[in-house]
Amino acid sequence: MTRICWWLVDLVSRMLEPGERDAVRGDFTESGESGVQALRDVLGLVVRRQAASWKDWRPWVAFVGLIIPLGMLLSIVSWITAGHSATYFWMYANNWDWALLTDRAFWYAFAYCVTVISHSFLLLVCWSWTAGFVLGSTSRRFVQVYGLLFCLMLVFGALLGAPRYFAYFFQYVPHRPQTPDAVGPVDALAFYRQILPFIAQAVLVAVPSLWGMRQGANLGRFPPMLRIVLWTAAISTLGVLVIQEPGFGFFLRPFWRPWMWHAWQVSLLQMLVYWPVVYWTASAVWRRRHGRTASI
Amino acid sequence: MLGEFEYLILTAAARLGEDAYGAAMRQEIEGAIRRRCSIGALYTTLDRLEAKGFVKTWMGDPTPQRGGRPKRMVRVTGKGAEAAAEFYNAVTRVSRGVAWSKRIEVRP
Repeated sequence: MTRICWWLVDLVSRMLEPGERDAVRGDFTESGESGVQALRDVLGLVVRRQAASWKDWRPWVAFVGLIIPLGMLLSIVSWITAGHSATYFWMYANNWDWALLTDRAFWYAFAYCVTVISHSFLLLVCWSWTAGFVLGSTSRRFVQVYGLLFCLMLVFGALLGAPRYFAYFFQYVPHRPQTPDAVGPVDALAFYRQILPFIAQAVLVAVPSLWGMRQGANLGRFPPMLRIVLWTAAISTLGVLVIQEPGFGFFLRPFWRPWMWHAWQVSLLQMLVYWPVVYWTASAVWRRRHGRTASI
Repeated sequence: MLGEFEYLILTAAARLGEDAYGAAMRQEIEGAIRRRCSIGALYTTLDRLEAKGFVKTWMGDPTPQRGGRPKRMVRVTGKGAEAAAEFYNAVTRVSRGVAWSKRIEVRP
């Protein structure tokens, strides 16, 4: 019990500023506090600190301007992505036949399916990571609060029906695009209907967003020029998330003209969405050269 | 005007002098009020006092009895001492002629 309490104290105290965390842990050691008392104390301090931080205007602006729209949007996009991939998963997992392995056509279709699913997953991870990066870069101090609120927003979007609401709303959008139709045998299984969307949301949205927030919180360490480049890439990516399908782009459909999709500016923007891949690669190379402590 | 807990913190810091830091002040306050003083209340109040310019805090050196962790040292500023004196005088003035005991009767 005591070990669990101290482990929790360690965990909770990570929400404090490093200097304060050390001072508080030192006070506990010096006064020989029990694990339960220490946990109660540190929880009290964290709650007071977090409550005090909401007196500032910045978390409110981030909450209304970024967390709510991005959380809802990514919730919808992950639902649609999970819906698309569910059909492919069902096709292979629930209808498996070893004889297919000898069929060349199977391998062709399988390669196509893997490409489509990987691409849509990577796109979602890049969007989620970028959303987290932007949130984290707005304030290092509030990054834990943002992480918590963002996850709550995702759960809210999934549970209280952001996807259902939008699916309903699409009926009234003129020239509405194809939404993923309910596929009878796939949706009949609770796993594909309920659990897969939650897994997609946790793995492809929540984890990358939190990771992005951590990295975005360190943006202040970068040279100003690099900061401007990263911010430009991030804002452009979120712009694409907003205007492109699946996303709020559903509502922009009536205003789009076919030539717009072929404009070089749009193609460039669509390529730019994958900038996190370049960032991760550059970070890994940098860490390898300069050691873990010099991580970017 | 200071709050009572703010006054307790300023008094504990003044009494401890050079040795005023989180754990020692907490012990001092608990000894005086005979109740538990939470770290959350102590550190958030210290921040408030620092923001008002009544105390100055800084990180001290790490010590072995604290597991190699530093102390948050506290020093009362001149402005803090003035505020504490004002609070003390106000409490003394308002208490003049009143002898509190368990049997005292409060009349309207």
